[in-house]
Amino acid sequence: MTSNRSGSLFSGVDRWTVLLYMLIVLVGWFSITAATYDETVPQLFSFAHFYMKQVVWIAVAAVVALFVLLLDDRYYHMWAYPAYIFGLLILLSTLVIGKEINGAKAWISFGSFNVQPVEFVKIATALAMARLMSEYTFSIARIGDLMKVAFLLAIPLLIIILQNDTGSGLVLGSFLFVLYREGLNKWLCIPILLIATLFIASFLLSPLALLLLLIVLCTFSEMMVSGQVRSRIIFVAGMFLAAMLLMVISTMLFENGLDLYQALLIVSLTTTLGLAIYSFRFNLAHTFITLILFAGSVIFLLSVDHVFNALEPHQQKRILSFMGIINDPAGADYNVNQAKIAIGSGGLFGKGFLQGTQIKYGFVPERHTDFIFCTVGEEWGFLGTLTILTLFALLILRLMRMGERQEEPFGRIYCYCVAAILLFHVLVNVGMTVGLMPVMGIPLPFMSYGGSSLIAFTILLFIAIRLDASTRVFNPNKL
Amino acid sequence: MIDRSEGFFRMRTLQGLVLLIFVILIGRVAYIQFFNAEYKRGAARNVMRIDVQYPPRGEIFDRRGEYLAQSRECYDLMVVYRDMDKEGFDTMRLCQILDMQPRRLKQRLNDARAYPRAPQRVANYVSKEEKLRLDAEGFRGFYTVSRTVRHYPLHVGGNLLGHLSEVSQSYLDRHPEYSKGDYAGIGGLESAYEEDLRGKKGVKIMERDPRGAIKGSYMDGMFDSLPESGRYLTSTIDARLQRLGEELMEGKVGAAVAIEPSTGEILMMVSSPTFDPEELVGRERGNNYIRHLNNKRNPMFNRAVKGKYPPGSTFKLVQGLIGLQEGVLKPSDLHPCHGGYKIGRGVACHAHASPADLRFAIATSCNAYFCYVFRDIIDNPKYGSVKKGYEVWYDYVKSFGFGRELGSDFLDENGGYVPTREFYDRVYRNSWNSLTVLSLSIGQGELGCTALQMANLGAIIANRGYYYIPHIVKAVEGTDSLDRRFYEKQYTKVDPKHFEPVVEGMWQGVNVAGTSTQARLEGYDVCGKTGTAQNPRGRDHSTFLSFAPKDNPKIAISVYVENGGFGASVALPIASLLEELYLTDTIRRPEMLKRIKDMKIYYPAYDK
Repeated sequence: MTSNRSGSLFSGVDRWTVLLYMLIVLVGWFSITAATYDETVPQLFSFAHFYMKQVVWIAVAAVVALFVLLLDDRYYHMWAYPAYIFGLLILLSTLVIGKEINGAKAWISFGSFNVQPVEFVKIATALAMARLMSEYTFSIARIGDLMKVAFLLAIPLLIIILQNDTGSGLVLGSFLFVLYREGLNKWLCIPILLIATLFIASFLLSPLALLLLLIVLCTFSEMMVSGQVRSRIIFVAGMFLAAMLLMVISTMLFENGLDLYQALLIVSLTTTLGLAIYSFRFNLAHTFITLILFAGSVIFLLSVDHVFNALEPHQQKRILSFMGIINDPAGADYNVNQAKIAIGSGGLFGKGFLQGTQIKYGFVPERHTDFIFCTVGEEWGFLGTLTILTLFALLILRLMRMGERQEEPFGRIYCYCVAAILLFHVLVNVGMTVGLMPVMGIPLPFMSYGGSSLIAFTILLFIAIRLDASTRVFNPNKL
Repeated sequence: MIDRSEGFFRMRTLQGLVLLIFVILIGRVAYIQFFNAEYKRGAARNVMRIDVQYPPRGEIFDRRGEYLAQSRECYDLMVVYRDMDKEGFDTMRLCQILDMQPRRLKQRLNDARAYPRAPQRVANYVSKEEKLRLDAEGFRGFYTVSRTVRHYPLHVGGNLLGHLSEVSQSYLDRHPEYSKGDYAGIGGLESAYEEDLRGKKGVKIMERDPRGAIKGSYMDGMFDSLPESGRYLTSTIDARLQRLGEELMEGKVGAAVAIEPSTGEILMMVSSPTFDPEELVGRERGNNYIRHLNNKRNPMFNRAVKGKYPPGSTFKLVQGLIGLQEGVLKPSDLHPCHGGYKIGRGVACHAHASPADLRFAIATSCNAYFCYVFRDIIDNPKYGSVKKGYEVWYDYVKSFGFGRELGSDFLDENGGYVPTREFYDRVYRNSWNSLTVLSLSIGQGELGCTALQMANLGAIIANRGYYYIPHIVKAVEGTDSLDRRFYEKQYTKVDPKHFEPVVEGMWQGVNVAGTSTQARLEGYDVCGKTGTAQNPRGRDHSTFLSFAPKDNPKIAISVYVENGGFGASVALPIASLLEELYLTDTIRRPEMLKRIKDMKIYYPAYDK
């Protein structure tokens, strides 16, 4: 482990990353000002203004960033697991003492100040991931090690879902990005990515079509990993035959026999179970994972219907409207539609600072938090949105580059984790304001109003800078 | 752990993925920001509440300053669906106040739901009292907008004035300056002078927040405008004459038009049956409209400018004039008539002294005489052939305003029909002559003309050779003149010097002896010509063409009563009574007035 106990505070700090960070925060502050500027408050520097509150948060974030840089990089390695455990405990406590905002019981309230622990759990999880995967004995090709990673991610995810804050939970899915970089078999990435789309597909396709699709996809990816084509085709064909047989027999025996979907479901699940035991015993890792994925997806799909019915009506509507199944400009589509109107009305050059009518009069909901991107779009036009997106793209690419130049896997994995988290946030947040993603309440990093989010992202980023700084001090040849 | 080159490859892949994601995001943003104008319009709709301020429509006066159409205050009830109190809203109460069926209200509210932020109209023609009650009740989300509607104090001139109707989608497509919910004139004066009458809508643009609360005037009222009232019109109509005309024509189907020959101003225009324009205002409008539409006598059809009728004997005047101009007829020429014209299929005639000169032929309406004249015109050897002669005759007839639109200010004027040479060539396969088309000589056959054209003929004869294009408007507020065409004398192809014998014939027919003696008015040299037009729809049509006084005429009038029988039996008394009223301001023949008013004609063609 390297460190820079001898160097000055800023030696080795990547200036580009800090500059990008400061620019994004600055643009964010202007946007918050524009989104919340209230002419009725006479004092320009009153703390009744959101922008003045945000000034305070930016100051706090700066102090926190300095603190992060001050700490020896060894501590991050050392504290990774304790921080993870501590994060989980806080997350669990939220379930009990948490405050419910927008339907998610994901906040802890200190007076008027609300903290969303999940923001900090992201950091802890990233650190824990980096620690786990940088262990000398860790091999991503080994099933047991992969299960550890899955376990590490599954626990916080479970708690977050229990908090009814699925949007934030999905962030953890972005670690696939890291797993791929660290050597996860690429054919395994495909079914995982597909699960994400399955959720959407589950509203659009019939259960039978979905099941067939799943069987074909899983078989295909397993075939590519194991290289055994013939036996897998025979297996699938046998499964279909069995399903048909089951259907025919059941129809002859009972008045209401099984249909093809039910028969196939029974056959595929039982064979999967048997095969899973078999492959586990003979250490056929990829086959096992594929089977687990298959079973998970089927159960997931079976539960989607159930879960969907358990959702709040406004959530159901949001999902359906995102799928394009219902289209009600005044109802569920309203937020997204207003967001698009605000961005669209900006045109090429925008309306100018504090001139945006859509934002100013509050047509866009959550305009200073989750929908802050709309403010940029309306007031600064395409030039503004292009600038912001470019800044984020540069930051993420920079982080990946920082990761690549690390000596230690710990630093590389952590940098990639940060890049993945930022990418996910930008994609989902901007995506939802422009109607490419369903509305999930996740903030735009460094820009959305709120102390807890800004500070958490600052810590996340500056740990990466800190780790990178140590590497560079001792390897001045590497840029 | 994977090796370096594999790691490098994977890094590149992930970099590509990041770039791809950002390219997609930027592309989508670019699409929204400058390739799709929908969102910009959405922004305007969001922020602005456009309060339209409706101008009062221009009022219409008759030539003496009496109101024909007034503007009366009324309201539209609007709703902004989103602001409605959906639970506590008392549907029944609202229906009670407006006297509206709950089913209908429900339907309107359902429609409004599609545009929850935009004001939608729930009811129109809300009276002042209803508005006050609604205000007192204070239904949330509902408000009233001031409009004006028409009021017709005299209840006359349905087809003449036209009516107002909410603009239809097809109208909107043709006239983009209108918007949904506007009224526009349909038919008659209202549509002909729509641009003058409608005024200019004012607009007040307010900025609002999503809760609909007004944040103030948009851009400090830079785009606001005040409504401008429509211009008032002084019509050429004499309301007394119009009312009497409608009363006299009641129970008969037909049309009557009176023109002031010295100006071309239309003094009266009756189309019968007519309707009370007031019936097409207010909530009963729809029902009344359907009722009129289903009436077989078609009260909403303006027969005065659209109904094509054979002119009958009144057309003999034109025949005589053409003959005189062509030099084939001298006023003193005598032609025999013993019960009709006996050549070819022939034309019958009633018993009268024979032979007759032109004046007497007109006074007594001799059919045979004009058969001679007609044949002399088109068989004239100087034209080489009958067909050439017919073309000459055709041009003359056209110059009298037949077979073409006169160019009056009625937009839907019908030009009537005068058969062309080509028409006969086609019908008779090129083998025809003056005998084949002989019925034209007495205004029968294929001829079709409107009451307006016939009244215009009266004006031409009264003026001895020219007319002014008939028009219905005397003055428009804020303009010092009408269209130029209404001030230009339109000469016929017949020299004015030939008119005197024809006028004398018409005068004799009324004042000496002939078919029109009932039309005599002591002290006013009335001139007139009856017509009895055969037609395929039953009894003869009764028509009368007249002007008075003989010198310096004040009024030219044409009355046409479908299936009325002899010209002298219905059309003549109607025309005469109207002339009496116009010239003497009183009516001294109450028994005639009563008889005509009470007369109902049976119309098997309409009422079966």
